[in-house]
Amino acid sequence: MPWTAAGIVVAVTAFMCLPVVGVGLDIGAIARNWQQGAVRVGELLTPDWSFFPRTVGPILETLQMAVIGTAVGAAISLPVSFWAARPTNPFTPTRAVVRGILNVIRAVPELVYAAVLVAMVGVGALPGILALVLFNVGIIVKLVSESIDATDAGPLEAGRAAGATQTQINRAIALPDTWPAFVSQTLYVFELNVRASTVLGLVGAGGIGLLIDAVRTFYRYDQLSLVIVEILVIVVVLDTVSDAIRRRLV
Amino acid sequence: MTALAPSRPLSLALPPRRRKPLRTLSWIVVTVVVIAAFWSADITWSRLGELPAEILRYLGLMFLSPNWEKLPEALWQTWRSVEMAWIGTVLGILIATPLSLVAARGFGPAPVRVVLRFVFSLVRAVPELVFAIIILSVTGLTPLTGALALAIGGIGTLGKWGYEAVENVAPGPIEAARAAGGSTAQVLRWGVWPQASPTFLSFWLYRFEINVRASAVLGLIGVGGIGDMLTSYTQYREWSTVGMLLIVVVVVTVAIDAVSGRIRRRIMEGPRVR
Amino acid sequence: MTTGSLTPGVEAPASAPWGIRLDGVSVRYPNGTVGLKNVTLDVAPGELVAVVGLSGSGKSTLIRTINGLVPATSGVVEVGGRRVDNASGRRLRELRGHIGMVFQSFNLAGRTTVLNNVLVGRLAHTPLWRTLFGAYRDADRRLAFEALDRVGLLPKVWDRASALSGGQQQRVAIARALTQQPRIVLADEPVASLDPPTARGVMDDLRRINVDLGITVLVNLHLLDLAREYGTRMIGMRAGEVVYDGPAASATDADFAQIYGRSVTAADRLER
Repeated sequence: MPWTAAGIVVAVTAFMCLPVVGVGLDIGAIARNWQQGAVRVGELLTPDWSFFPRTVGPILETLQMAVIGTAVGAAISLPVSFWAARPTNPFTPTRAVVRGILNVIRAVPELVYAAVLVAMVGVGALPGILALVLFNVGIIVKLVSESIDATDAGPLEAGRAAGATQTQINRAIALPDTWPAFVSQTLYVFELNVRASTVLGLVGAGGIGLLIDAVRTFYRYDQLSLVIVEILVIVVVLDTVSDAIRRRLV
Repeated sequence: MTALAPSRPLSLALPPRRRKPLRTLSWIVVTVVVIAAFWSADITWSRLGELPAEILRYLGLMFLSPNWEKLPEALWQTWRSVEMAWIGTVLGILIATPLSLVAARGFGPAPVRVVLRFVFSLVRAVPELVFAIIILSVTGLTPLTGALALAIGGIGTLGKWGYEAVENVAPGPIEAARAAGGSTAQVLRWGVWPQASPTFLSFWLYRFEINVRASAVLGLIGVGGIGDMLTSYTQYREWSTVGMLLIVVVVVTVAIDAVSGRIRRRIMEGPRVR
Repeated sequence: MTTGSLTPGVEAPASAPWGIRLDGVSVRYPNGTVGLKNVTLDVAPGELVAVVGLSGSGKSTLIRTINGLVPATSGVVEVGGRRVDNASGRRLRELRGHIGMVFQSFNLAGRTTVLNNVLVGRLAHTPLWRTLFGAYRDADRRLAFEALDRVGLLPKVWDRASALSGGQQQRVAIARALTQQPRIVLADEPVASLDPPTARGVMDDLRRINVDLGITVLVNLHLLDLAREYGTRMIGMRAGEVVYDGPAASATDADFAQIYGRSVTAADRLER
């Protein structure tokens, strides 16, 4: 069985390497452009530090988009998570509809949302934020509702026995127990948002991506290299801080 | 029910309320950061009011009568995207797996491990689009560029999951293989692989799922595939085609996720008893 | 621990406790199992009834039909003369607001304060907006404080519920039930997870609720000595039917053997 599977994989891969039908591994072109590539790589290894001041504004915009996107997304996700989980929404039809809509929303990458939204509302941070909100709600609701599904339904039954409505039960009993999971997933999504908002600008949706697009059309790979370094620093710092906070939560 | 004694002071002795400074502080920090972000954002908030109606209008343009005539072209481009994702995943696996084995505790020397893990985190921090831009200068705007970008980007996550999987393996078979005098390669083949292979296969498939989504994104900067088609038709404002393309993206992604999910479940749980 | 009389004013139950009436009640679960078979039963207001039987005998089903957590497939369920079996929505919640319930696994929301848990008892009488903002009325908070005082746990009012011991958590659950100002208190195996001294303490609390406040109490128990000691009346269940109904004090081991369908063992007693 494993050998058949491996064989299939090899065959499919080989098929996909053919030209026309596949991606076409054009070794000749690679060889020709290789020298150019080497020059580029050289530029990449020498960041242009004088470019730094011009990057500050766009980086701040990137962070703004990430913060706003996370905040709005989290606010929407909290009630929706309750509607998507069985213990907090025993009514199957609405639960199925909520889950279905979210599955569809999650199937589209956030940059695709951004590209389409830019065409709708224009260039700038707004389409980026909207794209992030869609992305966030999809992920937070999935993760938090899964965690609600896994919790003990006993306390919720006690609320039911005391005569509370489902919404009251969700707010007074389910919410305190779900809160750590919700905050943890929100922080995780914030990390993802920062990473995503760095490239949203490549389709016009604001942030450092706009600058990336500008420098690459001018082939200023040394400036691009500085931007990459900045992205790396921000992402690594945020990841470390966020992981530390998330560990203390649970 | 009437209250017989309305404002009778509570005669019970209540203990003092707990003060939680760390909690209050975090709330303050978060609120300040969020307000600062909203306030300093360069957005005309007045536009927000018209947004819902505008978006509904566009949604109507896109989905009320999607342009199915372009479907064959869309499917062909989807195939290109899937190819990018597949080759990117395979290449990524080929490069990352040996590296992740070396990066695992107990198999590679400590300094090498630290360097490798650092490289993995660095790679993970860079969005694949940036890799694609860098590779562009050599291979141009072709699906090959996309595949290579996905391969390199995948090294970060595949590497991390790989060494975690190796380290989570039960130590018994490894000790047995070592005690029998096996070389490192043999220990890996006979002690680690049998136990870890379901995990490896599972996250390889998961990486493929992720790469399928990423390939649509890479297309947005012009390397080909469904993303490329999306950018063109969005820029031409041909909304009915854009609507059709979005439907195709959703259907293909959901289908691949479902199939891949089923295969992964089967791998982790073993074949169903008939 | 405070004992004794009602404090006049906010705490007084407005009117008399309710009785419970089941008439030909049967429960059939969706998967086909029969929970109750044609049970007819009358509990007078103010009684303290112990229900005994093996697991699967229908004790849990019986207690849950009274507040509608398990719907009755046929028959009539009444509390205080009001029908439960055909009540739904607001009517059912209203009725449940007058029936307090205590569970074997305490069922507290572990990550929030004891006070918030006890305030759950007032949810049926609290409008949604107050719940959403956590702005309970002062009168409701006072009820909660007094209920906690009655079970002797007022010093723990601001503590996290999961930080309490099992016995303390069950007392908080009792306070939660008391905060409803209930006409009936149902207890489903309230002491099964507790050690003997704590179990006695909780049973004492339940008895005090019945004697001091006059509330009708129905307790599921699987320990014979507790049933004999605390119940005024005992009902024995077996395979979904009532097989014994009489004064608790005069129940003999032979009676228990008949209820259980097997002879009595040491595991059926609290003190070994």
